Amino acid sequence: MNSDIINKVKQTLVRAGSSFRKDQIEAYEFAIAKEICNNAKWALSQTLENARVACSKCSPLCDDTGIPHLYLEVGPNQVVTGQLIEDIHEGVRQGLRELPGRPMAVKGNDIQRIEQSDGLYEDAAALDAAPLIVRNIQEDEMRLTVLMLGGGPAIRGITQSIFHKHSIHVVVDEIVKRASEGVKKLGCTPCTLAIGVGRSQYEATSMMMEAMVKGNYSIQSELEKEITARVNETNVGPLGLGGGTTVLATFLNVGPQRASGVRIVAIRPCCCFEPRRATVSL
Amino acid sequence: MIYLKTPIQETDISQLQVGDVVSISGYIYTGRDAVLPKIVKLIEQGKLEEYGIDLKGSIIFHTAVSPAGVGPTSSNKFEIESSFPALSKAGVKLHLGKGALSSYTIQSLNENNSVFAVIPPVTALLESLTLEREVVAFPELGMEALHRIKVENYQAIIAVAHGKSIY
Repeated sequence: MNSDIINKVKQTLVRAGSSFRKDQIEAYEFAIAKEICNNAKWALSQTLENARVACSKCSPLCDDTGIPHLYLEVGPNQVVTGQLIEDIHEGVRQGLRELPGRPMAVKGNDIQRIEQSDGLYEDAAALDAAPLIVRNIQEDEMRLTVLMLGGGPAIRGITQSIFHKHSIHVVVDEIVKRASEGVKKLGCTPCTLAIGVGRSQYEATSMMMEAMVKGNYSIQSELEKEITARVNETNVGPLGLGGGTTVLATFLNVGPQRASGVRIVAIRPCCCFEPRRATVSL
Repeated sequence: MIYLKTPIQETDISQLQVGDVVSISGYIYTGRDAVLPKIVKLIEQGKLEEYGIDLKGSIIFHTAVSPAGVGPTSSNKFEIESSFPALSKAGVKLHLGKGALSSYTIQSLNENNSVFAVIPPVTALLESLTLEREVVAFPELGMEALHRIKVENYQAIIAVAHGKSIY
């Protein structure tokens, strides 16, 4: 057991669940400045103020503190052992108690867990993290990103195929259509669209996860800007109250593609606090 | 800003319009997917009093209550939205949550002179405005039990009132 690793992971989880990053704050400030709908401006200001208070107190941004998702990047000379992974999980458990996470792990066997008929664990740390994603990197270090994924975006997210007809426009049109339907039902807008494109459901979702890990509000490609602008035409606005700020930004990650007429696309309409993430060098 | 204090009077609701920002203070109930259908069943069975629940002039906030704080869940989830008519008829004057509601729910709110308000999911801000918390019924549901909390100046925006919706 490595207490240094455990402590780093714990602090990283708390940071992910309680703070906005600099580019995220700037995206909100920009949106508030340009928003002309008063209701929307009020909702955006409340969300940003909430983030400032949460950050200053190291307390949760949202009462749905989310399910921990872990993304591990491993350099050429780094070694991943079973003990390291166990230390990471112990750090997650301690972080969930510290934040505190919402005690929402469901008890029981397969059927009881599905039906939620045997109650919930009182210990926030009973919440298991989702399976770890591991990627190799060129830099010679080991980095862990902790993402805390809430339930609302999970309900409205979609992973499905698109027949691309050899045209990026066909794919983007379908993404805009699906995303527009999702944001209308999300409730906690403005959202950030996390999108992964891959060869299978697993790969598309992994690409989407990576988009949330790497995405930056200050760096947007032309495709990302186009998707954001087109979904903003829905005028759903913050909290669905109308206005021009339905989507703050799009994080698009296109992986390897299959020699085929089909692309698998995963879309997560992240809520107004997401992607809640923090990264640490282990 | 319009200030509302529980118990809410019929005349308080009559003056509210879609788009009004309100500040809510007093004791309010909380409940979501798991507990609201059970409360509706208690209403049908005439057993609210046995549980010490008084819905006249009340507010129900669609949230869990946990050490992580409070924050709205989507009010258009089936088990939450389908509870609106019975709860409104039993005296709930203001339903507090988030998300667009169906035309049927909008109509039932109007028939009972009740409204729906949207509250931002600002858990960190709400924490200092939540003064007391207690479980009222169904403690086995944990964070999803029916709670009564005392709040001071929760800000929300009226999203559905008198047959009109902000969505």
